[in-house]
Amino acid sequence: MIPIEYFLILGAILFAIGAYGVVTKSNAIVVLMCIELMLNAANINFVAFGAFNGDVIGQAFVVMTISVAAAEVAVGIAILLNAYKLRKTNDLDDAELTSMRW
Amino acid sequence: MDLTGIFGDYTAFAPIIILLIGALILPAVQFVGKRRTATWAVALVFAIVSLIVNAIMLTDGYTGEALGLYEYDAYSGLMILLFQIVLFLAVLVSNASTETTRLHVGAFYALMTGATVGMMFVAGSTDLLTIFVGVELTSISSYAMVTMKRKDPRAAEAGVKYVIIGGMSTALTIYGISMLYGLTGTTEIAAIAETTQLTGMNWMFAIAIVAMVAGYGFKIAAVPFHMWAPDVYEGAASPVSMFLATGSKKMGLSVFFQIFLVMFVAGTAVSQIAGEEVQYLFAIIAAFTMTVGNIVAIAQNNIKRMLAYSSIAQAGYILIVMAVMSEYALSAGLFHMFTHVFMKGGAFLIVGALICAGIGEKISDYKGLAKRAPFLAVAMMLFLFSLAGIPPLAGFTSKFFLFSSAIGGVDGVTSQWVWLAFIAILNSAISLYYYARVVKAMYIEKGASTEKIKVPKIFTIAIAICVIFVIVLGVYPQLIYDFCETAAGALLGM
Repeated sequence: MIPIEYFLILGAILFAIGAYGVVTKSNAIVVLMCIELMLNAANINFVAFGAFNGDVIGQAFVVMTISVAAAEVAVGIAILLNAYKLRKTNDLDDAELTSMRW
Repeated sequence: MDLTGIFGDYTAFAPIIILLIGALILPAVQFVGKRRTATWAVALVFAIVSLIVNAIMLTDGYTGEALGLYEYDAYSGLMILLFQIVLFLAVLVSNASTETTRLHVGAFYALMTGATVGMMFVAGSTDLLTIFVGVELTSISSYAMVTMKRKDPRAAEAGVKYVIIGGMSTALTIYGISMLYGLTGTTEIAAIAETTQLTGMNWMFAIAIVAMVAGYGFKIAAVPFHMWAPDVYEGAASPVSMFLATGSKKMGLSVFFQIFLVMFVAGTAVSQIAGEEVQYLFAIIAAFTMTVGNIVAIAQNNIKRMLAYSSIAQAGYILIVMAVMSEYALSAGLFHMFTHVFMKGGAFLIVGALICAGIGEKISDYKGLAKRAPFLAVAMMLFLFSLAGIPPLAGFTSKFFLFSSAIGGVDGVTSQWVWLAFIAILNSAISLYYYARVVKAMYIEKGASTEKIKVPKIFTIAIAICVIFVIVLGVYPQLIYDFCETAAGALLGM
């Protein structure tokens, strides 16, 4: 059996890649994809821990996470589409969008 | 009244079931009737019926659980009551507001009702799974509600920021929950609190706690996770801003109470491992949240952004509960959440009413308002002074309870959180400066026009309700505070 640490390290690496992408990427679609990576990192943890603990709560949680992530992306893409129609760009570095006004 | 005869085994879910039915049929109501007002009336009826059912359950002292994941007791009943009041006020004014005239109203009310169902579901959750799903139901509905003003570039920008930051906070939270599940082998909060699998502090537990605090910190806009809040409240329609600032934020605070207070106060096993560290973590977050919120609010010229920063600061005050971690602090925090609904909700309603009358969102647009709309000016002054904490208004009473819990006067022992109370009182003084600026613009400065302002009647009614509660809760706090004490006892099991 593969030791549980391997799964945790895989999850941690995925989470780090996702977080890095959210912070650095400027395309909104890519940012949404990176958020998906972070969610899937948690899913890997859940499945690994569920198998390790020998119960089904972990897997039940993963099903919930997947459906929530799907709903979130559906709404997220719709919002991005609307913003694209108004601004003709998906670039988050666009001056008016990143201006973190006080 | 015996509700079990109607709802059977699902009585604990009764207020939720009613609103859920409403959320599901509202889009159809608009499609069939094609009437804005009819859809609004149906939404309002569902909100009121649910409110009445919950009020009956709460005053009867009903307790019950369903499915092993959800529990209705004095605490969840009180939180559900708060969310229902927010929903009632938001729905009440939505039909008259000019900001929502171009929206697809069926979907709008359905989203608002659905978001409230999520909050109510969170309030009764005893398991991390249901808390997670409830929070997401509210969040995803809120993303859509904020962006519903489709032609407004500010709303589009707010929506993009909200959905990306919200998604990231979800990912952080779920990662933290997965770690906690791995360590304890369960997602039930009471079982985590008494876990025997965790024997000492380790790095996984630290990651779990920090990730969950950060993730839910985004939802309540605690510093340093607050940057989305002003943009979102500014971009959304005023009833939606009011709904988010008073409802959605309270849900995030309720999550903190239900997870961390239950784990670290009611539980003994976990609190021995990291109780003190978590208290200090929250104390620092609370101090930064109220200070940054108040200082940045001074620089605002847009009244919605100013109210947004002030609501960040108010969340900082309520976070004192998480640092003090006592039953008295929790009941004071719950009471402050109630008074905050009426004062902040009322202030947002006035902004919304004035937008309907063609007045802008700048503080300079409010010049000479006392002559043009005397009632609105008086109401606004009451709400702002209540937020600043001036007696005898509700905000003073609730802040007094909250800060005294940090000083620890209950059993005559001064607690270690006196410095936190000191920072909070200092912050209240700072906040008076920017609230007084609005009052000065309304009463002392002369405006360009002296024409009387006409606002929709329904707005006046909603604002009057808020004014009444702000005054009544100030002079007679027992009206709600008794329930808050029972609720705090029910949550912490004392």
